[in-house]
Amino acid sequence: MASSRAINVLFLIGLLLVPFMWDSFVAYQLGLFLLYGMVGQGIGLCWGRAGFLPLGQALFFGVGAYVFGFALKLEAGPLILVAGLLAAILLPALIAFVVGFLVFIRQIGSGPYFSLITLALTMLGFQLANSMDWLTGGFNGMTGIPALPGTDTYETLYYVIWAALVLVSGVLAYVGTAPFGQLLGATAQNEERLQYFGVNTALLKAIAFAISAAVAGLAGALFAPHQGIVTPQSVGFLLSAEIVVWTAVGGRASLMGPVLGAILIGFMASELRDSFQYWEVLIALVFVVVVIRFPGGLWSLVEGLARRLPSIGAKGARKRDLETDKSRADGSVRLAFEDVELVLGPVRILDKLSFRIDTPGVHSIIGPNGAGKTSAFNVLTGRLKPTAGRIEYNGATVGGLSRHRIARKGIARKLQIPSVFPDLSVDRNLDIALWAGNLTLSQMFTLRPFRWSTPLLNEMYDIFPFLEDGRQPAGSLSLGQRQMLDFAMTCLTQSPLLLLDEPCAGLSSSETGEMIDAIERIVATTGSTAIIIEHDMQVVERLSNHVLVLNQGALLANGAMEEIRSNPAVQAVYGGGSK
Amino acid sequence: MSKPHSLAISKLSGGYGDVTVIRDVSLTVEPGKIVFVTGRNGVGKTTLIKLIAGQLAAQSGNILFGERDMRAEPPHARRAIGIGYAPQESVVFDDLSVRENLTLQYRDRDLARYEALFASFPRLRERRAQRAGTLSGGEKKILSFCRAVAEDTQLVMLDEPTEGVQPENIERMATHVATEAGKGRGFLIVEQNLGFAERLADHAHVLDHGACIFETPGGADLRARLAERLAL
Amino acid sequence: MELVALQGLNFVYISLTLALVALGLAVVFGLLGVMNMAHGEFVMLGAYSVLVVQNAGLPLLAALPLALAVCAAVGWLLEYFVIRHLYRRPFDTLLATWGLAILMREIVEAVFGRDYKSVNQSLPGTVEVFGAVYPAYRVVLMALMVAFFAGLFLWYRRSNTGARIKAMVSNPALATAVGVNTAVLARGAFIFGVCMAGLAGVALAPLVRVEPYMGIDYLLSSFFILVVGGLGSLVGLLVGSTVIGGSDAIVSAITSKTGGYMTVLVISILFLWLRPNGIVARD
Repeated sequence: MASSRAINVLFLIGLLLVPFMWDSFVAYQLGLFLLYGMVGQGIGLCWGRAGFLPLGQALFFGVGAYVFGFALKLEAGPLILVAGLLAAILLPALIAFVVGFLVFIRQIGSGPYFSLITLALTMLGFQLANSMDWLTGGFNGMTGIPALPGTDTYETLYYVIWAALVLVSGVLAYVGTAPFGQLLGATAQNEERLQYFGVNTALLKAIAFAISAAVAGLAGALFAPHQGIVTPQSVGFLLSAEIVVWTAVGGRASLMGPVLGAILIGFMASELRDSFQYWEVLIALVFVVVVIRFPGGLWSLVEGLARRLPSIGAKGARKRDLETDKSRADGSVRLAFEDVELVLGPVRILDKLSFRIDTPGVHSIIGPNGAGKTSAFNVLTGRLKPTAGRIEYNGATVGGLSRHRIARKGIARKLQIPSVFPDLSVDRNLDIALWAGNLTLSQMFTLRPFRWSTPLLNEMYDIFPFLEDGRQPAGSLSLGQRQMLDFAMTCLTQSPLLLLDEPCAGLSSSETGEMIDAIERIVATTGSTAIIIEHDMQVVERLSNHVLVLNQGALLANGAMEEIRSNPAVQAVYGGGSK
Repeated sequence: MSKPHSLAISKLSGGYGDVTVIRDVSLTVEPGKIVFVTGRNGVGKTTLIKLIAGQLAAQSGNILFGERDMRAEPPHARRAIGIGYAPQESVVFDDLSVRENLTLQYRDRDLARYEALFASFPRLRERRAQRAGTLSGGEKKILSFCRAVAEDTQLVMLDEPTEGVQPENIERMATHVATEAGKGRGFLIVEQNLGFAERLADHAHVLDHGACIFETPGGADLRARLAERLAL
Repeated sequence: MELVALQGLNFVYISLTLALVALGLAVVFGLLGVMNMAHGEFVMLGAYSVLVVQNAGLPLLAALPLALAVCAAVGWLLEYFVIRHLYRRPFDTLLATWGLAILMREIVEAVFGRDYKSVNQSLPGTVEVFGAVYPAYRVVLMALMVAFFAGLFLWYRRSNTGARIKAMVSNPALATAVGVNTAVLARGAFIFGVCMAGLAGVALAPLVRVEPYMGIDYLLSSFFILVVGGLGSLVGLLVGSTVIGGSDAIVSAITSKTGGYMTVLVISILFLWLRPNGIVARD
């Protein structure tokens, strides 16, 4: 971490020295590659961190170039220039935000829809640039763009570009370290889980996409005076594709990798493109191999060397010294299912399921396989939309709302398979749970939330001492520990209602004992209501006195454990009773 | 059918991903024998069958069918070698007709091989043109049972075949299983219906927490012996 | 009247071709879950096959078997070496096929050059249809495409392979349990899908400029057709082709090519937003 920061700084210093070590023409050429590299850095934020791939980034680059080129050509003083620069940055960001939000809210995950739509946008941009002669100069381009006032295009402009690169790198590094970047990384690993923590992931991804577009717009703005001409090629699909290739080869997950990729391939291309017929074929081949085999790209080689450097700016262990109180004033829970139906294709999964839960403590749901236990959680948490019926939680209808909305109303869910964020450290996993429901959008861009702590967190450290070793990645924990971390995270949201789907699945008998103790203790201290799905009768018996039995999507029985056990209807379908 | 093979699994462990559900289970099914596996919900019965069918990858242990190690074979090859399987859930292809469900693996698409089964379950013949997704749960189970029993396999694995099936049809299923076993085919049946087990079993195993906790030969009071182990 | 007939024929021709490209993508994306970003490049290979046949002085219809052979071979290579390792990993397939698309374009560019090529327009033989004089080559292709769709529709409903593909899609675990070799079936479906794109390329070659970068447009149009028509059915596919092809043609005629393009894009985003499963949704 710290040594990679050192190598980033050295890399930037090295770039500053280029005009002194070579001639200014090399620096001029390099300036162009740095601009493309910045666009690549934006792609890296989306692709390397958030896990969605924009394929039309040149659109934003081109819009920035045309807008600022237009402002330069007006030659109307600094105010217009500043306004032009702002427009060159904000217009792409706005387009990206709107398109991104529209797509992401409908398509969870990293499916192809987003990538293809961005591809189509860049094609559209190319056609618009070609046809709107009066604004863009059409096919021949916008020509005669004057130099940036106060600079010489072939000499000092390079330093302006360099400063922009430093600015962009600084902003992206900060955004990546802030809670926003951590949440973005968590989105790539398990978007659905993050939504159960109340995070609006569509908004998050749209903001990341807007940031990447703003960066591309800034690079495009500097491209206009650098080249003196902007043609439709700057908006087009070919440039988009090339920058994606450079980003991949340089290293999409790193801050400086895309810049390195743009520089290396850029210089090699200008040397070899004309003399070596199969140059483009070679680069395409390298791209395919890198994408499949070496996702770290060239920069991971650089970082390998960098580990030998002394680290600078290493911070001491982070302190959690900001006590926040997450406990809610009114922790009471009133949950009601009224004739809830869920029909998927030909299958009726929930069939007029009705029940009420309005006392604190642990309630259990049992029932044979396929009875609709997990489906009941699914319609309650927004994973599935109920086909009919009402689900009411503390006076509000929640059936059919999106996952993060329901989570923010105070319903936390632990999935059956432990779903922690494997590439993030244990500390970061806990942070995400602490932030759940409390973190505002502006706090996502400050560092203070990393210092949050709650009394319940200290209690968790007490129950699960392994959590104190916060720096190890959650993926390196054993299965049992991951179950416990997941459980701890679910509780740390301090939601009044906790849904626990087979919290002891896959645990050994001693671990099962620990988990039962933990559930008992947490529910008692927080006064929350927990509903657990469990097959193991010993667990059910120890934890709860209220048991709901589901069968074929409907409530079969409902009452205390002794009543359930003596109920003949339950015996008929459950527990190996003979028919 | 060539020379009949036994299924012998030993010290088998496995589950979903790195979650171990089945731990060190061993059992044998000899040709012509009917072996039952029972236990409460969630103890790993279905996981065990899926490991043998190849739907899940085993973590350790052996699955021998005759001399051959089945762990190296993909699921469709296990079926070709002679292990048939009717799953517990998603038992039919909902989008296909009943007829397609029964004939999709045969080039000739001939229903003649189902004559004896259709005699017992005439509803299937009546509904052969209907989409299988429109059948009731019990009818789907019967369709799946017929498909697996009619296949030319030396071993048949049935995962809860009687779930949702009405009693007279369960009785007919039992008759077919007994007949086929008489021809030398082995059966491995996961079942919670202890009456069905008592009627047919040569041998029975009880699973709990993924391990085999009890095994017993078949016979008159099998139901009582098993029920004792399964009490809530 | 003649003009209307001519326009009508052109529209039907384009819609059929687009439906063919989209059909290929529907098989690969809808059935196998692989978004093949190189799909358009197979259209390009088909179009270059016509060019090769023309340069060799052979009748243009000889391009059909050539395109099929080339696409099948390239499709097999891709499936065997790349795709089959990535099933059920949608993001990785997206990336890998994107890279393969670039590779295919660059190879064709290195061999044939970057410049636009066109297939000889003065095709021998014309036919009179509804009073319009139309090239026989296109009429033959149109008839072939209609026959192909009809045949495919019947075959898919009746053949065992159709049932097996349906089975593999609706319940892959059960399909392997009844002995279906899903790996071989998936490979066959992939190759079938890219061959459809190749055939469409043969049909398109006389109408458009043939160049290494021509594929992207067809990838996008066929993707939009799937967004509008849904992944579930052949009917949805034809409806999608008509909506996309039709709105593009009409708006382009009234305003400009850019207007048509923008309309198609807006319609697609609206569908994604309002009807994520397309017009003819599968329940």
